[in-house]
Amino acid sequence: MNKVISEQKLEQEIEQLAKEVQPRRDLWLGIERAIALAPQNNRLQDITGSHNPNENKRKSNAFIPTAWAASVVGAVLLTWFSFSPGALDSQSSINLASSMQNSFEQQKQFVLASFGQPELKQLPIEMQAQLSGLANARKAIGTALVNDPNNSELLNLLRWTQKQELDLLKQLYSPQWQTI
Amino acid sequence: MLDKPKVIDAKELFTVDPEHEIITRAKQGDQQAFHQLYLSYHRRIYALCWRMLADKDSAEDVCQEVFVQLWQKINNFRGESKFATWLHSVATNIVLGHLRKQKNWLQRIFSIEEHTTAEATVELQDDFEISSLDKQIQKLPERARLVFVLFAVEGYRHEEISTMLGMAVGSSKSQYHRAKSLLRESLSEFSYE
Repeated sequence: MNKVISEQKLEQEIEQLAKEVQPRRDLWLGIERAIALAPQNNRLQDITGSHNPNENKRKSNAFIPTAWAASVVGAVLLTWFSFSPGALDSQSSINLASSMQNSFEQQKQFVLASFGQPELKQLPIEMQAQLSGLANARKAIGTALVNDPNNSELLNLLRWTQKQELDLLKQLYSPQWQTI
Repeated sequence: MLDKPKVIDAKELFTVDPEHEIITRAKQGDQQAFHQLYLSYHRRIYALCWRMLADKDSAEDVCQEVFVQLWQKINNFRGESKFATWLHSVATNIVLGHLRKQKNWLQRIFSIEEHTTAEATVELQDDFEISSLDKQIQKLPERARLVFVLFAVEGYRHEEISTMLGMAVGSSKSQYHRAKSLLRESLSEFSYE
């Protein structure tokens, strides 16, 4: 026979509910790791932030195409320097390349500032190598543009490399607590 | 007759609230201070996550997510309310966001209202002492459970709950009554088993 408990009895049970429950595992270890990669700032995060466990895997995998991209840039540059046509002076093109570099530096600083000016040297070696590869490619393109400032392909390559570097920075410093 | 002079409680006036100090340090990036906040609140936040999600694994993951986001957003805490109240509202929003993302199109078509989480409850029984009421809360349909936990356990008003859950105030109230009658029935069954 079932007897439904009274409203009052239910209220008592609610009052007696434990305010605290101990998780089964130590959650701090994961949090500690995550906050080391997610710098403190005043940025309002999307509080409904992603919780897809595969997302981190996707982020890690994102380095592979970037590595390929850096390699392709390197190969293109090597080819370019081997078969480079004669340089043409053009003050406007030099200004364009210079302005692209300046704009890129500003964007990079903005991105880093939005992530709380993280110390790039604290990144894992592999990621530092990715960033360094892209930065070297960018510098090499800049040097090539000094010799051939009219070359639209080089200008496009510079723009593309800059974008890759900014995208990589954003990937590296976006919240990664899903790794927990 | 003169009134007794008011005695100023110097201790109260000049003592710095230790939690306030810890929060200030955490805002400045002090991880040790943040760890202290974690130690003070993680069980309460975990309880909230577990009751709302009715799943221990998700509750642990979301609890971690709450503290990672707390680290990033702690500067948004202006001290206008109690820290615990603010933290609970942050946690509640994160849990609800998690639930929204978790639902796939299939669940949206076939309402999860009819599904219960008895499996999760059975798993949890071995982990720690769970009250009869907590066991039955886990078995409630999702919306009824969310409303019940937010209203009866967390102390939100129906107006607030209706905004959080995107439902009418009347629906929140009816879900609460539904939850209560289901609990009263199930607790009686539980007692006579």
